[in-house]
Amino acid sequence: MKIIIQIAIIFSICWVSQIIEALLPIAFPASVIAMVLLLLLLSGVLRVDHIREKSDFLLSNMAFFFIPAGVSVINYFDVLASALLPLLVICVVSTVLTFAVTAYAVRLTRRLMDRRKS
Amino acid sequence: MSELFSSPFFGISLSIVAFLIGVRIRRRTGLELCNPLLIAIVLVSAVLLVCRIPYEAYDQGGAVINMFLAPATACLAVSIYTRIQLLRENWLPILVGCTVGSLTSMGSIYGLCRLFRLDQTIMVSLLPKSVTTPIAISVSQSLGGIQAITVVAVIITGILGSILAPLLVKVFRISDPVAAGLAIGACSHAVGTSKALELGETEGAMSGLAIGVCGILTVLFSLLIAP
Repeated sequence: MKIIIQIAIIFSICWVSQIIEALLPIAFPASVIAMVLLLLLLSGVLRVDHIREKSDFLLSNMAFFFIPAGVSVINYFDVLASALLPLLVICVVSTVLTFAVTAYAVRLTRRLMDRRKS
Repeated sequence: MSELFSSPFFGISLSIVAFLIGVRIRRRTGLELCNPLLIAIVLVSAVLLVCRIPYEAYDQGGAVINMFLAPATACLAVSIYTRIQLLRENWLPILVGCTVGSLTSMGSIYGLCRLFRLDQTIMVSLLPKSVTTPIAISVSQSLGGIQAITVVAVIITGILGSILAPLLVKVFRISDPVAAGLAIGACSHAVGTSKALELGETEGAMSGLAIGVCGILTVLFSLLIAP
């Protein structure tokens, strides 16, 4: 009974988010609306205990749910094969660049904050 | 014969078995490269190709698994909420880091795709690749990208991030654990976060927060370039 109530809570948040997505004039993904909505509910009426088992199940098996989306790559082998090398280069370069720029930006912000305090 | 494979139970069972094998291999070898999701995708694809099972048949079960993507994304809120105190105390560095990080990621992908003359569809499929898979898929979909390419790029990025993270921390001399954690989370989402946790508690928590914050920011920035 406990689990079924938790499923009902999370699924109905997802459903409401799909309605909001349909009403919004911009293309804001329903799953992200659901995340924001759940965060708001957790800061107000809902307690983590109300959805703990279901959310643990979803979060700890997160990777599993992406298998079908990943497998659909077999329909796009030609696209992937034609751009494999650039794709790998893009992944390496953007990962290193994002790491460095983020780390330096955070360091700079924290230093400025410290200077202000002292 | 092919009706047998069109049962949703086939696709679901195959996916679970493939994923369990992936988790096993990961535990045995301890290698970042042996990502369970990557192994599962390769195994399922191999089975479909070798046994000549059409993707549509597998997708009867695949669609059921796909249904859990939105609830799983929603539950990222729980992992943000459990660290809300940390978020309140460090909101400014987190906001600055994630904004700069998301923009750098998207900007560098845009620039490189232009450089390699990749077409628009591939470019928008790669654009959200530094954020966590469920959000990346949504962004890619709303921009008209190919979901499968997004998933593969997100996984490759995550694996790269987790392999490179300890090295990058040393090369760029990042001694501040807050900066290191946010940087790892911003460039390599949940897969990188598991590595960040090995580096330290603060690194792990910051990396975890960066997943959600970068995810939301990337959605907002993608709205600006949406068709």
